[in-house]
Amino acid sequence: MLSIIVFLPLVGVVLIAMLSKERESAARLIATAIAAVDLILASLLAVNFDVTGGMQFIEKFDWVSGVGIQYYLGVDGISLPMVFLSALLTLVAVVASWKIEVKPKAYFAMILLLEVGMNGVFMALDFVLFYVFWELVLVPMYFLIGTWGGPRREYAAMKFFLYTLFGSVFMLVGIVALYLQAGTFDIVALTDAGLSPTFQWRVFGAFFLGFAVKVPVFPLHTWLPDAHVEAPTAASVLLAGVLLKMGTYGFIRISLPILPDAAAQWSPFLAALAAISIVYGAAVAFAQTDMKKLVAYSSVSHMGFVMLGIAAGTAEGITGAVAVMFSHGVVTGMLFLLVGMVYERTHTRVIEDVRGLSSQVPVAAGLMAFASIASLGLPGLSGFVGEFLSLVGAWRSDMWPGWVITAAVGVLLAAAYMLWLVQRVVLGSPSHAVAEIEDLEPREIAVLLPLVALTLGVGIYWDLLLRYVDPAVRGLTALMGA
Amino acid sequence: MSGYWLLIPEYLLLAGALSALFGDLLPGGERSSAVLGALAAFAAAAFAGFIGTAEPLFGGMLVFDPVSVFARVSLAALTGVYLLWSGGRGTGSERSHEATALVLLSVVGGMLMCGARDMVALFIAIELSTMPAYVLMGYRRDDDRGLEGTLKYFLLSMTTSLIMLYGFSFLFGITGVTGYAEMDLTGAGVLGVLAIVFVFVGLLAKLSAAPFHYWAPDAYAGAPTSSVAFVSTVPKIAGTVAMIRLVEALAPGATQLPLLLSVVAVASMVLGNLAAYPQLDLRRLMAYSGIAHIGYVILAMATNTSTGLAAAVFYMVAYALPSMAVVMIAAEEGSAVEQLSGLADRRPWTAWALVVFLLSLVGIPPMAGFFGKLYLFTAAFSAGYRALVVLAVLMSVVSAGYYLRIMREAFFGERVSTSAVGRSIPASIALALLVAATLGMGIAASPLLGYLGVSF
Repeated sequence: MLSIIVFLPLVGVVLIAMLSKERESAARLIATAIAAVDLILASLLAVNFDVTGGMQFIEKFDWVSGVGIQYYLGVDGISLPMVFLSALLTLVAVVASWKIEVKPKAYFAMILLLEVGMNGVFMALDFVLFYVFWELVLVPMYFLIGTWGGPRREYAAMKFFLYTLFGSVFMLVGIVALYLQAGTFDIVALTDAGLSPTFQWRVFGAFFLGFAVKVPVFPLHTWLPDAHVEAPTAASVLLAGVLLKMGTYGFIRISLPILPDAAAQWSPFLAALAAISIVYGAAVAFAQTDMKKLVAYSSVSHMGFVMLGIAAGTAEGITGAVAVMFSHGVVTGMLFLLVGMVYERTHTRVIEDVRGLSSQVPVAAGLMAFASIASLGLPGLSGFVGEFLSLVGAWRSDMWPGWVITAAVGVLLAAAYMLWLVQRVVLGSPSHAVAEIEDLEPREIAVLLPLVALTLGVGIYWDLLLRYVDPAVRGLTALMGA
Repeated sequence: MSGYWLLIPEYLLLAGALSALFGDLLPGGERSSAVLGALAAFAAAAFAGFIGTAEPLFGGMLVFDPVSVFARVSLAALTGVYLLWSGGRGTGSERSHEATALVLLSVVGGMLMCGARDMVALFIAIELSTMPAYVLMGYRRDDDRGLEGTLKYFLLSMTTSLIMLYGFSFLFGITGVTGYAEMDLTGAGVLGVLAIVFVFVGLLAKLSAAPFHYWAPDAYAGAPTSSVAFVSTVPKIAGTVAMIRLVEALAPGATQLPLLLSVVAVASMVLGNLAAYPQLDLRRLMAYSGIAHIGYVILAMATNTSTGLAAAVFYMVAYALPSMAVVMIAAEEGSAVEQLSGLADRRPWTAWALVVFLLSLVGIPPMAGFFGKLYLFTAAFSAGYRALVVLAVLMSVVSAGYYLRIMREAFFGERVSTSAVGRSIPASIALALLVAATLGMGIAASPLLGYLGVSF
């Protein structure tokens, strides 16, 4: 089951590659079909998932036997929402880019290849396999940004690739060190390896570099605005929606349970970086004149809440972290899609030029307002759940309260810059660029609707998400306490 | 002496070389020559694999252990792929049947190097392997720059051979034997150190490791690109095997050896990777990148553990595959990096193959280069070379910069040149084989590693 979910998109890649030049418009149909089937399979996974059952749907056999590398997949309540998110956002990304005209074959093949890597990262339970999928993600994203991106795409693609590679090679060193110490690449078995605190501290540092670049945590975030601004809409959606989560997922899946002593030692440092990321991201978002950049910096701020929950290390904190990860994926996906849709019509992303959407394109404007309000964490929408829980978790941990207060200020800032965005873009009298544009077409609304539904669903009925996350996180904290 | 049949692969290569010389008289001309040669090489690879491990020959002069078998098969198979490609291209360069013969003769030497555990056998094998390479590098008689490059290559290669031979004479003087089995340098003092320095300086220069590398970029840049594809990659596999055998034999009595090797490893990794950056000619760029990769290999040799040495050979093959392929593509498209511009539009399949090769060289999974690096770094880390491993991984990030530059040119570059080469089916097959091998050596390497004895 899991292997099918991971490698089905690869089948799509092969099918698309074999299309002849004349029939390249069929690429989007293949990609849509494959991504849809993958989403259905991921949903079946969620339906058949036993919330109290720990690691499930396990597939495990020797891969490179002499060295102890396994092909080992499994999902628990933390990875399941991520797998679902990546399958959903892939489908959304594919349908959202139906109109792509430049090299459609390569474009859709890259998105499907990206899905292989994303799903794989969230399912892999062997370190080498994890690393394989982790790096696999770099390649399609490099091409998506570099080929279909904005004017500075080559620079942005290169920066994205090198930055992330820089982080992940340190992760590789950490993996090698862990392997030589404990004699296994098995992520589950390593949780009770009984590693000495000094050793843990060093390995944590190596993993920190790998994960923190991906999240990204201040001050390792500078690749993100470039990549986001230059990336095509669908790539932005996947980048913010899924790729950033790989970093925090790494902390939760690997750093916390395998290196619990080090996690406790590093916690004040992580908390400080989290709080700084929250406020810094928010403050910089304030100053942006480009909508896409604003959303990009708001991501830095939101991912700070995830890091805050992780730094807290309490059950509430980690549950909150996972909830923010899920919600941010959905909401930021919406925001990037809407910014992209507006851009397609007005050919500008400058906030000044895009005023008064509501009178001209009420549907787009309404959805924009909805997504912005969801992003600022209004109770009743999904963003609130995670931020609330991670703040509570952080407050209850032995973290310095100053960081929690700083983070709470960040919530206010988020409300301010998001509402200001709504005020400028949605309300007011239409600007010149907006005057002639048409409202969203049915395809575009269909792309956004599932995301709206999830935002409302999770926001009103928390249990929809937390029934998966909570038991898994309690298992995790039990491991850390032991 | 009943073991002569063990050398069937070498006989096949020799027969291939001789028939290639006359193959141009067959219908099909130069092409049939290359096809004959490719067939001989593939047959040699199959036989070498079929024969497998065996008792040593000539009283221990030639051994047939797993490393030797793996290296012999890889050498012959890569040569087959190379000849398939060069024959299929049929660029009509004069006397290409002679080139085929020279390549095969050079590989005979390489095959013997893989098994040699005796100084005399090794020296003869090295000379047999390098002599044809001189001719291949200077193949275009009318090109002055090429002649300069090849002259440099010839003179320096001869000098290093002689330095190595000088070292061998010291070793013989100290120990009184030429076979590695009884060679023991313990208590040899300064003379022993001198012997080791001479021997390894010679070998390192042949492998183009820094600081003995300076001939490589000039020689490659002056030579026909299609010759560089062979000379800069395949013989290095044999050289690596020859070197790990010497390390194995001499390290017990020479405590300075790991230090010497780690210095060379650091110098090669840093210099190779940094110097590759500004290069505009793919041959020069790949020459420097080769220096960098040999640095990683030497890092593994410095460990002198059986796993480290086996990982070194595995890595060398994992490097040679994509590296040869990149230079092949350069030979088809033109050797300046910017001539690759627009490759993705002209030849999308080739462009994506190039991506696989380049990413393998960076060390991105699931390509062979990643797994090679994983085993190599794990071996070095467990032997205590932690700082060097960190340096090595940082350097592989640095290397991503210039490999991505090639990729960027091929995919995002403005189309400036048009490919002069027509499509040829054998050449495409050759590239496809290299793609399959580059992926396969990573994903399905389990039996191979077990065979080589890589385990931690």
